[in-house]
Amino acid sequence: MPATTLQPQPAPGPPASPPSHPGRPAVEVAGLVKSYGRTAAPVLDGLSFTVPQGEIFGLLGANGAGKTTAVEIVQGLRPHDRGDVRVLGLDPVADRSRLRHLVGSQLQSSALPDRLKVGEALRLFARLAGDVVDWKQLSDEWSLGHLERRAFGALSGGERQRLFLALALVNQPRLVFLDELTQGLDVGARRETWALIERVREAGSTVVLVTHFMDEAERLCDRVAVLHQGRITAAGRPTDLIASLGGPVHLRFSLPEAGTGVLDDIDQVPGVAGVTVDGRRVDIAAGAASTVAVTAELARRGLAPDDFTVVRPSLEDVFVALTQEDSS
Amino acid sequence: MSERPSAASLRAQPLGQRAAQWSERGPSGPAPKAPRAGSASALAALTRTEARLLSRDWAAMVFAFVFPPLTLLVLAGSFGTEPDEGFGNELPDDFYITGYIGIPLAALAFIGLPVLLASYRERDVLRRFTAFGVATRTVVTAQALVTALLVVLAAGTVLAVAAPTYGVPSVDDPLAVGAAFGLGSLTMIVLGVALGLSLKTARGAQAIGLMAFFPMFLLSGGGPPPEVMTDAMRRIADVLPLTHAVAGIRDPWLGSGPVGGHLAVLGIWLVVGLAIVGWQVRRR
Repeated sequence: MPATTLQPQPAPGPPASPPSHPGRPAVEVAGLVKSYGRTAAPVLDGLSFTVPQGEIFGLLGANGAGKTTAVEIVQGLRPHDRGDVRVLGLDPVADRSRLRHLVGSQLQSSALPDRLKVGEALRLFARLAGDVVDWKQLSDEWSLGHLERRAFGALSGGERQRLFLALALVNQPRLVFLDELTQGLDVGARRETWALIERVREAGSTVVLVTHFMDEAERLCDRVAVLHQGRITAAGRPTDLIASLGGPVHLRFSLPEAGTGVLDDIDQVPGVAGVTVDGRRVDIAAGAASTVAVTAELARRGLAPDDFTVVRPSLEDVFVALTQEDSS
Repeated sequence: MSERPSAASLRAQPLGQRAAQWSERGPSGPAPKAPRAGSASALAALTRTEARLLSRDWAAMVFAFVFPPLTLLVLAGSFGTEPDEGFGNELPDDFYITGYIGIPLAALAFIGLPVLLASYRERDVLRRFTAFGVATRTVVTAQALVTALLVVLAAGTVLAVAAPTYGVPSVDDPLAVGAAFGLGSLTMIVLGVALGLSLKTARGAQAIGLMAFFPMFLLSGGGPPPEVMTDAMRRIADVLPLTHAVAGIRDPWLGSGPVGGHLAVLGIWLVVGLAIVGWQVRRR
């Protein structure tokens, strides 16, 4: 089964099955079009993607690509011009009251009043959700217990995101939208937040993660879709996307001395795509499957450089390749 | 068909166990019955929270509870305690004491409420509530209810400060006083909501609110007596809603005039305020 597609996924058409049909994707978006103003170019121009249940799905894109617009439409918070949207088999606008208690949300720009204390925020939103969870319990689970009496305005970036995550889960949602959750966080707080997001999936929820951090998406997401110029330009598992679109693996090392001919015909090893020699520095580009063969050949020729490095392509390389290709 | 776990069964359970319950329910199972708080319950929870938040807003608290009694003490003591022509032959202290019942109302409706509302909009707090299924009108209603409660408390504070100092005059027509206080509060709060919904930033709301409050406060009975004002000032004062909230409370309290005209002007302002609120809500 090809998990990687370069073309936007075909529109599944208007859903005909009853709401909350078992086995349905958590989110189905088909042919979504949205413009701000009549004359403006569309922000979303035929956007289609599907989020399988129980996964962490990454919606990737540069700043201003329309990611937030897309998830706000999916959550029924913003009207759209054309296209079909189904969330857990329901219409996000018409079935809003049903979806309210199935969907959790962390909105990118939305804050809380500065003077609201952490404990008060948890208690208020737990109450609004009908007290399906004990807010004290939730507070302890997300390490917010010692912050309960602290005002929102006095929280650090990481503490705020932890609170937002807890609030997004206060209704025990089946589907959680997290929009740029780690923006502005330091390295430690980001990693801490990643662990929390994985806990959300372990607890049985589907997560839609909106991010422009490729390392985050590669580390966390089961599946990603790249949003560029209003459409999905690629979708699939990060490893598959990297294998098909990330370009070759680079083997880099230094020779003991330049110009000895020790690398002659190394490009004859199957899978080698190119060899660049700059003085003593060498860069061999090869397919991922040829890494071991090239390395063995180097060893056979008596080369054992202690600075030997294998640089694998990342999701960032895929993203750059996709977005630059489309821009040019 | 799996049932959603009850609130009680979820208390004191680690996340792992809850996860197991979720799995049993299955991520694709039928949607459970809505366990959401009803709208009345949501409004009550929000109102409690908003009351706490507003009580931490020092600017609003000072303007509601400190500024009116202090200004009252100074003014009521400045013009003597004999009937004065400049005060429509009323005792100057009675004139101010009964008039100042309406002043905290203006401070809360024009300084506290619009800043609170505009800051919610500016920081996207309203959208967070919307995403959570709480309508903007519920949030606005909660804030208006809290403001109304504070208006009553602040009016009580004015009387509590006046009683041991200058004394509170007896009420001539309690029903008319109550009607003017009620309609005046409603009108001013609706105008405050209109202001808060019309402005995009808290700073803007603060600037416009203060600018609206102070001239109105001075012209509508919080400052000099009407008889010392120029004709132009009096003409402006005559159309201001606060003038009629203040006089609507004072005149029937002291038995110095009918309340009908004041109620009519307040009614017109109420309609204006409601129209602006309706327009702002439809724009969203």
